[in-house]
Amino acid sequence: MKNKEITYHLLILLLLILNSCKEKNKYHTITDKIAAESKPYHGELSSDELLADIPLIKITEGKHTFLIPERKGQIQSFACIECHSKPVSQMKGLEKQKAHWNIKMSHANTDVMNCASCHNGKDMNTLHTLTRQPVDFNLSYKLCAQCHSDQFEDWKGGAHGKKVAGWTAPRASMTCVNCHNPHNPSFDKRWPVQFNTQKAVERNETLDH
Amino acid sequence: MSKNKKWYTLDLGLNKKKNTTGSCSCGNISENCTSAKQELSADEFYKAAVNASIGEERHKDGFDQVFDVKMDRRNAFKKLTASLLIGAGAVSTSCSIITGDDTKEKAQINWEEQFKGNYKLMTDEEKQGTIDRLMRSYELQTGKNISMTAENAVANVLFGYAFNISKCQGYMNCVSACVEENNQDRNSQMQYIRIHEMKDGEGFKFDNADDNYYHEVPAEGHFYMGTQCFHCDNPPCVDVCPVQATWKEEDGLVVIDYDWCVGCRYCMAACPYDGRRFNWSKPEVPENEVNKNQHYLGNRMRKKGVMEKCTFCVQRSRKGKNPACVEACPTGARIFGNLLDPNSTIRWVLENKKVFRLKEDLGTEPKFWYFMD
Amino acid sequence: MGVFKVFKSLVIDSLDTITKGSKKYHIWMGSLTLVMLLGMYCYTLQLDQGLSVTGMSDRVSWGLYISNFTFLVGVAAAAVMLVMPTYVLKDIDFKQAVLIGEGLAVAALIMCLAFVVADMGGPSVLWHMIPGIGVFNFPNSMLTWDVIVLNGYLFINISIPLYILFRHYQGKEAKKKVYVPGAVLSVFWAVGIHLVTAFLYQGLQARPFWNNALLGPRFLASAFAAGPALIILVLAVIRSYTAFKIEDKTIKKIALIVTVAAQINLIMLVSELFKEFYAPTHHSESAYYLFFGLHGKNALLPWIWTAIPLNILATIILTFGVLRNNLKILYFCCFILFVAIWIEKGFGLIVPGFIPGPYGKIVEYLPTGIEVGVTVGIWALGAFVFTILAKTAIGIELGLLRYRNK
Repeated sequence: MKNKEITYHLLILLLLILNSCKEKNKYHTITDKIAAESKPYHGELSSDELLADIPLIKITEGKHTFLIPERKGQIQSFACIECHSKPVSQMKGLEKQKAHWNIKMSHANTDVMNCASCHNGKDMNTLHTLTRQPVDFNLSYKLCAQCHSDQFEDWKGGAHGKKVAGWTAPRASMTCVNCHNPHNPSFDKRWPVQFNTQKAVERNETLDH
Repeated sequence: MSKNKKWYTLDLGLNKKKNTTGSCSCGNISENCTSAKQELSADEFYKAAVNASIGEERHKDGFDQVFDVKMDRRNAFKKLTASLLIGAGAVSTSCSIITGDDTKEKAQINWEEQFKGNYKLMTDEEKQGTIDRLMRSYELQTGKNISMTAENAVANVLFGYAFNISKCQGYMNCVSACVEENNQDRNSQMQYIRIHEMKDGEGFKFDNADDNYYHEVPAEGHFYMGTQCFHCDNPPCVDVCPVQATWKEEDGLVVIDYDWCVGCRYCMAACPYDGRRFNWSKPEVPENEVNKNQHYLGNRMRKKGVMEKCTFCVQRSRKGKNPACVEACPTGARIFGNLLDPNSTIRWVLENKKVFRLKEDLGTEPKFWYFMD
Repeated sequence: MGVFKVFKSLVIDSLDTITKGSKKYHIWMGSLTLVMLLGMYCYTLQLDQGLSVTGMSDRVSWGLYISNFTFLVGVAAAAVMLVMPTYVLKDIDFKQAVLIGEGLAVAALIMCLAFVVADMGGPSVLWHMIPGIGVFNFPNSMLTWDVIVLNGYLFINISIPLYILFRHYQGKEAKKKVYVPGAVLSVFWAVGIHLVTAFLYQGLQARPFWNNALLGPRFLASAFAAGPALIILVLAVIRSYTAFKIEDKTIKKIALIVTVAAQINLIMLVSELFKEFYAPTHHSESAYYLFFGLHGKNALLPWIWTAIPLNILATIILTFGVLRNNLKILYFCCFILFVAIWIEKGFGLIVPGFIPGPYGKIVEYLPTGIEVGVTVGIWALGAFVFTILAKTAIGIELGLLRYRNK
């Protein structure tokens, strides 16, 4: 009689414990979940509004199509031929020769690259490739891609470089020259923008008795 | 869980007058307040509170519409006793004849905020009600307006994050952008993001890394690695919370209802990634530095004694923007996007780069990947 | 109706008893009240300024409060060591001691709850945890299990002695049929509260120091050493200050329990130390910090190196029957064992779990004055509650308190 009661109570307890197993995730790993629920997003969220005020151009490279900021409108003294009316060699020795005095080349060494590697001496309003094919200033990434092919691949995919606005479509990525100065492309050293004094205090405290 | 709402309204008489527009806008309420009839003695107040809680044949207007009450007598009394201590304060302010309408309204808002339910279980209307009250409360306190939203998770979105270790230069722009965006406590210098400066050739030795350096960066022979809340798909912090004040949303964000949190800090002990922060004292943000675009689950002002954490800037990401850290990063080391969309850049990274996550052996399934060029 | 009348009379009588006593008793209760008031003052400071007045930080987010909570759960669970033989095995020896033991359990549980509330960041919203009104994350969160088992245990430990005393108060024998099932349940329950409390820590994959299978059993062993050790000390005090008869035999039997539990505890300690230090991994760093300090940070060394020798010394002395049966030596051993386990199970368990942090950062922890004040206040509260319970129980058991039907 008593034993029965105890067994009954124990059974209830056991059931309770068995029932209380954690809710199981539907998928074993997050990659399973992504694979199973993957679906192109055509929802209500879009970056159209965020991008409305920014002049952009659409490019297609390989299977990637996305927007990049328009460049020519951002260059202060565009169009170049307003000054560069003659080929550069003929302009040497003229009064205005020091217009670009502040540009210091620090991109590869001078045996490899000079101004003419990118700038088209025949038509200063455009750039040109190593094989002297003219390239529009808006599409300057094509020049970078000639050597930096790995970065180019990453950039196309979205692993290299910043996005212009949000995570939603349409995708707008910064182009190379938005972050890198083509004449001096590496980033400078600088100080971090902040320092956490509280954390420093907390860390350095040794508690003595 | 019963589907009935688990809270009740306090009717201080502010809502008795039939509100013809049926809106719960705060302006109407303060208008109602001017009526002289509404001063109550303590006894009347008590009765009114009980009546309101038992809720038979009440006019439904204003707040009542938002906070529809379905609660039996026993529950209501239970709640009354449980809340006696806090209630006493509200009673004394709200029943005094000399106090102004603003004070009274403040008391009413405080009361309703104190006894509202868990945000996770609220309907959209109730969510709207609480953010309306919070905005009004801020206005009453500071005289300034904030905009607070309560966007729900968007369908077919699962947020994920990737961090490029080769690109991060340790400038910490992300850290300050995060603090400013998310209204973190300036006194204790709370920060969600940590950037660890690691020595080349030592691997990921976090214990030898410095996460509070101050010298020119990038330092010779070092690389940088950022950590924050990883929004695990199997988050241990969510399991341990005794009151479900933290949970994983449909879009994968692990969020906290700051008003529901009891401050036991069990989640903090359970997090293997140092992703959670606690307000040990009252968080302070100078009024002119407050980010006024807020989300209930995101960067709204916190109280002392509650947990908080990175929400992938829910106030931004649910509007289609990138989190503040992604936007602030000068090197493009941070990539954010929709994991479910095969055309998203984050998916390209996951499929084409060599990615890894921290402490994968714990089975937490973080949605935060690291990769190198 | 009659029951209520008797109960009313019991309450009045017990109020009468606890407010009367010798000078020493009044000094004792007065000083406890003073300490409690001090604790309450410290707590108001904490309420006002937030938990920043404590030594805790984002790094070490649980400290003295939770340490004491963990330890006291063990003390409460130890009441079972007296209940089991008395009620279940019908061992007459323990009968007088068992009421004291359960009173101790009640006091310990009240202290546990007080420590948990003191540790909360938002005590005013604790109603969120009440099932029905709030949202109770059961069964996912071990903390909700703990809330259930602790309150259930409190209920059992209040109702059994209350029933027995209530019957004795009326001059009747307590019916075995009524209280024995409760006593049996409390035996399982006591193991439950302690295991659940251990699981609270054991289930965290983030903290390798806690995430080991031995934590639960070790909790039990140390609890069954420290709890009865405290009971022996309390019985010794009661014996010398009141007319309540407790035989040497009873104390010696409890001493045997303490000895066996302390020995098992020591074996488990050795096993744990072996695992941590024979083939140290990254996960051994917390243990390393606890015992030897890490990167020049060594705040816990004095504590743990007090606890370990005391623990070993007490266990060795207790192992020899000749020494154990000498009451003076026994009391001394019980005292040092109690202190040793308080350090080991409190500070030595909770704090190193957080050090080093998830990313290897070390921030040390020592309680502040306010934290110590609140803690001492809660201990005073426990002593106060226990004194009241014990005085009433002793009064009834001695026959001084009897229901007089008018």
